[in-house]
This record gives sequence, C-alpha cells and structure tokens, in this order.
Amino acid sequence: MSQPLGIGSVEASDAELVRRVRTGDIGAYSTLVARYRNRLGRYAVHMLGDREDAEEALQDSFVRAYRSLERCDDPARFGAWLYGILVNRCRTSGARAARRRRMFVRDADALNGATHADQADRVEWSDSVNRALARLAPEYREAFLLKHVEDLEYDEMARLTGAGVSALKMRVKRAREQLQRFLKEAEHV
Amino acid sequence: MFERHDDIVDRVVQQLRQPVSIDPAVDDRVMAEIAADAATPRPRLARWTWLAAAAALGAILIARPWAGGTASPLNAFQFVLVAPQASSVALVGDFNDWDPARSPMRTAQGVWATTVPLAPGRYRYAFLVNGVEWRADPGAPAARDDEFGTPSSVITVGGNGS
Repeated sequence: MSQPLGIGSVEASDAELVRRVRTGDIGAYSTLVARYRNRLGRYAVHMLGDREDAEEALQDSFVRAYRSLERCDDPARFGAWLYGILVNRCRTSGARAARRRRMFVRDADALNGATHADQADRVEWSDSVNRALARLAPEYREAFLLKHVEDLEYDEMARLTGAGVSALKMRVKRAREQLQRFLKEAEHV
Repeated sequence: MFERHDDIVDRVVQQLRQPVSIDPAVDDRVMAEIAADAATPRPRLARWTWLAAAAALGAILIARPWAGGTASPLNAFQFVLVAPQASSVALVGDFNDWDPARSPMRTAQGVWATTVPLAPGRYRYAFLVNGVEWRADPGAPAARDDEFGTPSSVITVGGNGS
C-alpha cells in the first residue's frame, strides 16, 4: 500500500509515542517534536517566506496538537494529522504576514560546498524562486507546495485543506504557469 | 537560450525540496509550554482548595478514569513534581509499598510526572529525588502521622475518583 503523505506512518513508533503521551508521559512528546520539526518546518518556511514566522507557526502547531491529542483518531498517522494543523496555522499566520514586508530565506545548508561563483548563482536563483513563490496567491502557493514539494496525493491534499480535488488541480496548474511566467520575467530584467 | 517550461518548474521544485534546518530551540519552547500546561491544575480539581495553591510547584492531576468493573474502581492519578535540577525522581507511597522502582517518573523540561491507578482510600506518599532526598508534594497536605521522620503528603481518593 502506498504512503500518500510520506509522513503518515513511516516511523512505526509514532502510535506508541502518542499512546505514551496520552497516558501522561509528556517526555515522549519531545521525540515527536524532534522527529517532525524540520520536515514540517520546510513547508512553513516556504509558505510564510519568513523563518521567524515559520518557527512561531510550527511551535504553535505542536502545542495545539498536544492539547488536542485525544482527537487524533489514528495515532499511527500522527504526522499527517499534525500536518493538517500546521497547514491551517500557516493560513492564519500568512494573512498577518502578508501585511508586512516579506523576507526571504537563504538556507546556509543549501550553499555549503559551493564555489564563490556557484554560490552567487545559487543565491540569485534561490532569491528568484522565493520571490516568484511569494507572488503566488496563498491558495496557489499552498497547493503547489503540498503537491510538488511535499509530494502529497490530491486526496490527501483535499483532506488537509478542505478544498475539492478538482479545485486543487486547478490551483496547482495555475501555480505552475505563474511560476514559469514570473521566473521568465525575472530572467529578462 | 530557451528552457522548457517544465524544466523551470522542475528546478523550482528541486530548490524548494532542499532540507531546511529549523532552530532546535523550537523543541524547548514547545516542551516548556506543555510542561506549564501539565503543572497547572485542571478545572475539575478547583474544589480541592489545597491543590489550587500548587499550580506553580507541583500538583496531582486526575488524568482520566480507568475502565474499572470491580467493586473498588481504579482511577488514574497523575503526580507531578517540578524539579529542574533533579537527575531522577520516583514516586513512593502506600500504594506501591514505598518502592522507588515501581513508580519511576519521567521528565520533560524539569517537570517529572507519573500516573498510578488508585482505588478509593487515603494514601501517604512522597517523592524520592536523586535516590536520596525525600520531598513532600508542595501542592498537597502534609501527612501528620509521619512514622518515618521524613516529609510526606497525603491524598484521599473518594468513591467517585475525586
């Protein structure tokens, strides 16, 4: 059977950790936080375009998930359930952030080992991608990231976002078209 | 030179799929918030006036009733002690023959917790810190009939688990 989310039950012990947290072992929750921090953090960083906002959204999502852990119906898919909380949290955070100047994230890890010239090219490309991504409407950016970066199936995306599959396909298509256009424009500036 | 549209999107995806490192301090902040939750008495306990004063230091929290079908139904009680400097804490009391090995406590950010099932009754208990230091529960009444000369606390479990 395929793993639609890629984060649903890859770690067999998610269910066990959730069970331990539910019986009062709050220390077990720190293992879940460490396990999903970077994976979910990438989505938040790209969705919000600001590392500080992303970390705040991530922190808030982990705390919300803990407080409502009794409503996690399938503990083996804790990751997918947590992802849904983060997607919603990013929507509200994104609305606030949109009123501010966006800051773009250059991940130092992505630049390691590059020559000076390579590094300059990579920084330029990274900035262009971030700028193009930031120009997308939030619902287009959300759909594009979930589909192409997080590699989710449309059914899973529909569950997470509450949108219909056909609407999501349309958003992904538009996002692709707009990204292409924005990046082409940037090349000619 | 022209690049196919799909190639551009592929390059975008490749760029965005690079791992992103999030500050591990996020973990600490999450666990600190959660620990603060655990150390705060829940509304169900508000009628225990002695417990209300224990919010910051330690508390006994009712976790959730166990499914008990016997004449003396068991209820799960969570015991919590805030002891950031401790390297180990065990719960000892009448309910476990004062045996530290039977109720070791787990910690998250200095908040030590364990859950034990208790039938209705009155129990004396204490925390054994670092294997040597006896501490009473700062959020519970002190036991008066202390035959061992060490601090201990008392919890009375009613018939309905309160």
